Amino acid sequence: MIDRLLDSARGRVDNADALWRREEQTAVAFESGRLKAAGISEEAGINLRVLANGRMGVAGTTAAKPDPKELVERARASAGLGEIVQLAFPGATAAPLPSIPTFFDHTANASLAELIRMGRLLVERLSRPGCQINVSVQREVADTAVGNTAGARGEYRATGIAVTADLTRIAGDDVLMVYDQYVGADMPTDADLEALVRSVETRLAAALTVVTPPEGALPVVFTPAGLAAVILPLEQALSGKTVLQGSSPLAGKVGETLFDARLSIEDDPLTPGRPASRPVDDECVPSRCTALVERGKVGRFVYDLETAARAKTESTGNGRRGVFGKPHIGYTNILFRMTDGGRDGGAQQAAPLPSHELGGGLIADIADGLIVDDLIGVGQGNVISGAFSHPVGLAYRVQRGEITGRVKDAAVAGNAYDVLKRIGGVGRDGRWLGARWSPSLLLEGVSVARR
Amino acid sequence: MKDRLAESLKQSRADYTEIRVERTWSSAVAFRGRRLETATVSEDQGGFVRVLNKGCGWGIASFTSLDELPGMVRRANELSRAVRLDEPIRLADVAAQTADAVLDLDGDVRGVALSEKKRLLDRYNGAMLAVSDKIVDTQSSYRDEVSEVWYVNSEGASLYQLRPEVVLSGTAIGRRDGNIEKGLESIGLRKGWHSVQNYEDRFRVVAQRAVDLLDAPRVRGAAYPVILDNELAGVFIHEAFGHLSEADFVYENPQAREMMTLGRRFGKPVLNVGDNGAATGLRGTLPYDDEGTPTQDTPLITAGILVGRLHSRETAAKLGERPTGNARAISFRHPPIVRMTNTYIAPGQQGVGFNDLISDIKLGVYACGAFGGQTMLENFSFTAGWGHMIRDGKVAELVKDVVLAGNLFQTLDRIDHIAGDFTWNQMGGGCGKGGQFPLPVTEGAPHVRIEEALIGGDV
Repeated sequence: MIDRLLDSARGRVDNADALWRREEQTAVAFESGRLKAAGISEEAGINLRVLANGRMGVAGTTAAKPDPKELVERARASAGLGEIVQLAFPGATAAPLPSIPTFFDHTANASLAELIRMGRLLVERLSRPGCQINVSVQREVADTAVGNTAGARGEYRATGIAVTADLTRIAGDDVLMVYDQYVGADMPTDADLEALVRSVETRLAAALTVVTPPEGALPVVFTPAGLAAVILPLEQALSGKTVLQGSSPLAGKVGETLFDARLSIEDDPLTPGRPASRPVDDECVPSRCTALVERGKVGRFVYDLETAARAKTESTGNGRRGVFGKPHIGYTNILFRMTDGGRDGGAQQAAPLPSHELGGGLIADIADGLIVDDLIGVGQGNVISGAFSHPVGLAYRVQRGEITGRVKDAAVAGNAYDVLKRIGGVGRDGRWLGARWSPSLLLEGVSVARR
Repeated sequence: MKDRLAESLKQSRADYTEIRVERTWSSAVAFRGRRLETATVSEDQGGFVRVLNKGCGWGIASFTSLDELPGMVRRANELSRAVRLDEPIRLADVAAQTADAVLDLDGDVRGVALSEKKRLLDRYNGAMLAVSDKIVDTQSSYRDEVSEVWYVNSEGASLYQLRPEVVLSGTAIGRRDGNIEKGLESIGLRKGWHSVQNYEDRFRVVAQRAVDLLDAPRVRGAAYPVILDNELAGVFIHEAFGHLSEADFVYENPQAREMMTLGRRFGKPVLNVGDNGAATGLRGTLPYDDEGTPTQDTPLITAGILVGRLHSRETAAKLGERPTGNARAISFRHPPIVRMTNTYIAPGQQGVGFNDLISDIKLGVYACGAFGGQTMLENFSFTAGWGHMIRDGKVAELVKDVVLAGNLFQTLDRIDHIAGDFTWNQMGGGCGKGGQFPLPVTEGAPHVRIEEALIGGDV
């Protein structure tokens, strides 16, 4: 399909690139402990970008038998209104694309019965009186082909599976929601499912007692899930797009030490076993790892072809595109690589803690503070500025080094750039959460307000 | 198309079968700063099949290739039969509807050249950029669509709906050194080209606000008396209460049902809340939901008392209540689930205005505009676009980063005054639930006073 489309584009436009993707999903859903639904979804689509008279245009369709000529004409019409850009489409390379396993037979071939069995196991392990347990298992197989008129081609098959358990406990007017998931390219092992069960159990058990929240500027342990609010501003600021637009606080700061020297962050599309991993991006750029933050210093920003062209740099292989719209910048796998920067940390040397251990081994020295596992409304404020302010969704009070119970009706606030300047401690509980790997971090001086 | 769907229905071996087919024509223009991002026309189409058998669960198939329809009906049936259930799924009765419901296209967007749409957005985007040299970045977008939806089920329903939509949004980023602030305008209408003209002033206002916020202090974290403006009060009732009134949260959960017992007091007698999918001309308005049930005005809280909830056919049957036409799907890629439409706080006494609400507040916060909201049912967050302190009964200085931390039971019960100045706030974006985002919804409210609410921030 891609070849026919690019052939059709040749001669009618200056250059073109395209992505074709076909996805098949199979899902089973347990509601209140009962298997309620099984479903499949099949979707295929194609996205075309052209340069015509130096101007860029795009067109996409989910039609089963798209007419290549019509699609090219639609993209040309779009280019007629488009901006001039000197896009350098990567050419055919002699070297093979980086080798990264993205397709796992066991995942692709798992039967409906196998998916149901996995879900049922979680339901049985997590059912308890007074709690409602919902479980979903979703498997995806995707074929991707990318190509351009400069001769570059890329093709791969990928699998992904997500197993989600969410438990709701209502007692009187108290609503408690505890949630966790396994996400991988390959099927979860028994140990993975066991870890998921233990994670939900631990969070639930510690939450059964409700205690008064503390107040003031306090030490707060952000779990890998709780960290989302702190990381989101960095993700936006490290995007070549916001840098180009002048709205990134990190623009012009490459090489400057803005964060704790133990903090390194990478975007790595070549991480084995992750659904976001891929040999090539959606614009034919071979995948590679990008150091976003290196030992506290601002590293590289991420770019797709267009932003790279405008910033006069190279794409980092972070081009992402859907069937509709033009390619844009997207992260793949974000990994926190914590190193001992000569301080008292040494976290990497100590044995890792199981990820269900709340607080990652960071609470022993906290006289009064919080563990934050979930915040409400993340992404809805003035994110790019670094400021965050959120009510807690799931948080625990720590007093004299011990978890004393769950807190409600409290809100935490701070600025990501301030709190990451000095990290109070690095947890030994590093884990994947969707496409991000991080440990818990102890951050000091976080504002906690209560009613 | 209807004949083709009827033919596939006939071949289904399942006890209950429904088929939904959608064809959506859309165009989109976006600017970032002074630069055009995209101007495109897209076509999306696909189908959705859902079947039910006695003693079995739902079997579901969605697909983009309509040639596969007969095969997909068979596969959905196989999937349903693979899900064995002790307690059967029942669907509440709905008289089978047959209708063609064509909403007013209000200037069919398919007949307007893409270059015209680019010119319009260029004007709005330019209005933001012209406000100040401190506006360093903007994100402006225009998107329209005309969606055709066919729905048939094995009980005899056969519907065709033509739904237009048009969404305008603008974000202005103000910057001075490391200080970065934003202003946001968002307009979403179930209308067409005629309805999106002459919005320059609204875009200018948000850009000016981004500049003004650069000098504003962060609000101090504390519990305050809070006045919500119409827009934020709408987001508040959607997040704080609307999601709990969706019956899929209670129908399988005895503890939740007890918490949400009809007749329970949720607020003071001034509080009246409802959801009206049949309201005229709003973004959340639909003649029929995605199970073929006619939409309606459903009272949820009357004089402070819980009186109703939002249903699909399945949740209504389980609770012995009547379907309300709230089963909605964002597209053929998803099954219908219980969702809101146009959710509102009814106006208080005619003539009661904003000034009557603030006159006796010594120290409080006037929270305005909405960047968003999210609920975890009992607790929720809603993020204001900006705020003002209220001092000695008067609106005082501008403050930023105003985020309200709410608790359903405490916050609803502390609404003590509701003004008479009701407006519908037709914003773009939409509601997210169960992986389905963005669903077009509208919220409506007057100014609302909460005696005390928690605002996050430095303490």
